[in-house]
Amino acid sequence: MSELIQRIASADEITFAAQRLRKTALEKDLTPRAVLDVFEQWAAALDGRGVREIPGVAFLRLWLRRGTLEPILLRELGPESLQSGWRDDGRARLRAFPLGVVGHWPAGNIEIQPILSLTCALLGGNSCVVRVPSGLIESTRRVMETLQEADRSGELTSRIFLASFDHSRADLQEAMAKSVDGAMIWGGEDAVSRVRALPFPHWARVLVFGPRLSVAAMDAGVWGERSERAAWCRRVARDVWQFEQQACSSPQTLFLEHGAGCDAAEFVEDLKAAFQEENRAHPRLEIEPALTSAICQARAAWLLDDVANRACFPQSTDWTILQGKGTDIPEPTQGRTLSVLVAADLLQAISQFDGTVQTLGLAVKDARREEILAEAAGRHGVDRVVRLGQMHVFGSPWDGTDLVRPLVREVRHARSQD
Amino acid sequence: MSQLADLQLQLADLEQSIGMLLDTPPYAMAPGQRNDSLLALFKRELEYASECSPQFSNYVRHWPVSFAAADKIADLPYLPVSVFKANPPLSLVPASEIKRTLTSSSTSGQVPSRVVLDAATSRRLTKGVIAIIRDFVGAARRPYLVIDTQENLGRQSELGARGAAIQALGLFATEIVSCLHPDSQGEPGLDLEKLLACAAKWKEAEVLVYGFTYVIWTQLVQPLKRKGLALGMPNVHVLHSGGWKRLEQQAVTKDVFVRDVASVFSCSADRVIDYYGMVENVGVVYPDCARGYKHVPAFADVIVRDPLTLAPVQAGQQGLVQVCSVLPTSFPGFLLLTDDMGEIIGYDGCGCGRRGTHFRFLRRVPKVEVRGCGNLETTRQRRGSGA
Repeated sequence: MSELIQRIASADEITFAAQRLRKTALEKDLTPRAVLDVFEQWAAALDGRGVREIPGVAFLRLWLRRGTLEPILLRELGPESLQSGWRDDGRARLRAFPLGVVGHWPAGNIEIQPILSLTCALLGGNSCVVRVPSGLIESTRRVMETLQEADRSGELTSRIFLASFDHSRADLQEAMAKSVDGAMIWGGEDAVSRVRALPFPHWARVLVFGPRLSVAAMDAGVWGERSERAAWCRRVARDVWQFEQQACSSPQTLFLEHGAGCDAAEFVEDLKAAFQEENRAHPRLEIEPALTSAICQARAAWLLDDVANRACFPQSTDWTILQGKGTDIPEPTQGRTLSVLVAADLLQAISQFDGTVQTLGLAVKDARREEILAEAAGRHGVDRVVRLGQMHVFGSPWDGTDLVRPLVREVRHARSQD
Repeated sequence: MSQLADLQLQLADLEQSIGMLLDTPPYAMAPGQRNDSLLALFKRELEYASECSPQFSNYVRHWPVSFAAADKIADLPYLPVSVFKANPPLSLVPASEIKRTLTSSSTSGQVPSRVVLDAATSRRLTKGVIAIIRDFVGAARRPYLVIDTQENLGRQSELGARGAAIQALGLFATEIVSCLHPDSQGEPGLDLEKLLACAAKWKEAEVLVYGFTYVIWTQLVQPLKRKGLALGMPNVHVLHSGGWKRLEQQAVTKDVFVRDVASVFSCSADRVIDYYGMVENVGVVYPDCARGYKHVPAFADVIVRDPLTLAPVQAGQQGLVQVCSVLPTSFPGFLLLTDDMGEIIGYDGCGCGRRGTHFRFLRRVPKVEVRGCGNLETTRQRRGSGA
């Protein structure tokens, strides 16, 4: 990786790079243990100035730790997976081999997504071709510089090719698709549909992580409890602030279950304080004017639509709380705009989910009740049910899919002589 | 006193104050004097609108700063212009008082904006346009050549932006001629015979010409250029509006447009005047002055806001344009944040001689790029569901 991110002009550059990477992946073993060793050092290197400030890098450091990834590998690939090598399977034996080259098409809104995506493929022993979105080139370059420091022998970096080209270059997109044995595709509907339609080889395994939204919910036992409310509001604020609320795991709506004597206006006051505090800690430094328009429109439309609706927002675009009632998820605005809806019954709200909800962040007092809500969420298309405040914690499975297992081939050897 | 009577008194009071501003020469007031009179009037209009509309009142009540305590126009509650895409349209008057609904010229697939006009607002808007245009082309009535089809000339209860612009200028007309006609497929085309007859008849007379920028280019300039014709009308004023997007797609710059329009009419380039207007801010139009800037008339204001903080920016900095107008009382269009980027050039002292704020529009804010795993916009639009 002399140039960390290659500016690509011709299809041949991608094709040749992929051929080289495939050779490396299939000829030289890369055990999960070896990957984890480098990842540990990489995690430590991510604490430097200029890198740790990148949104999501704090999480990336946790993600790369052995304590995070080992349990994922053990669950997805089995107890002997760390050593690689063959394992017995009755009278035969099994071994996981990499697919070869995995192409990554990350979304343009999450700074660390190119990195998270490629780590999954490396854990399976694969090589990676990554199309880095134009807006993420600088952050990706800075993070990858730290991998270069950590991976002195080049065991991992020799398996990575980072490419930059305009998304409208159909020839380059096609060349990349034709060159890979697997793909991880992330993003909004249009982007995902375009990439999915590319001419992948018939054997390629394509994992798609398409557009979703996420929702938070609290029962009255939690949000009505004044002594705990401020802490829960801080957790909500943290989930809203991450990734500018553009991630599929970002909460767009918070349902508060109605409770006798619980005052939603009081809750919104605490939430406002939490938003103000989070904004002081993590102020927005720039904004697309189109998002400004969308935020102003959301505020006005909410208040004009129903005189019973309430809202709370500063003169700036910093944050917005839209307060009302109901069980329908309002149109998401993003840009730190949270709809807070009092619902008569959380179960009813969750039972209306239609498969677009990826993550349900919960704060529920009673464990049995939480199990019932989680069960309902699972039945209505939700793929992750987590504690409020941890909605963005990336893990496996994601969108209901394992992250490493689909990127390896389980080869079975039944001996010819027994 | 009943609430209705109280509202009528408030409205009569507003009518008088607005009338005084409309009777003032549009570009003669000192900035300080104008700000004081506008601030007080906007506050009364906000109060009136809040009493007329519980929805608008709900919005104003939640504004972070009490408008009663505001000491500058920039602190008053403004609406984003997109709220006028709501159906039914936002209104401050009962349906029985609505005389006309104006609709914006939305591009394909977009929902048009709609504003409702009662008789009083309609009168004021007309007076506003006349006051502004008179300052640029003079007060005399003259022949009026419309680069459009006849159907946009008639009075209709629901009127598009093109029709509204055409009809507003009709008050300057001694006679009105439209020079496009529908062809056999219903598409507008140039009625060359009619146009040449007008040119021969009016020759060196003062003539007012109006058309949408794109229509003038495609339906008039290009056909005449292809035929190598010039109209020999040196004393026309050619007003055009409607944006540059489609011409930019054809790589036609403003300079080329002005040069070629002037060429086909045989007039000087300074007689070709681009003006900006929007249905939601109807009654206020912004023609380019000789220096190429847009001027704010006495009954209006323009603020440019930082997209991040929404605070007003200094002259010379770019931001989102807020248009302000005291003219409407049938819809809450007093203070509107547009989807356009602009720049204040100065708050007084333009070289053209007009006083007050002068500015320029830069571009339309592009729609948010559909990107990211959390962006469900397209999915939901296709389903036609707000979930």
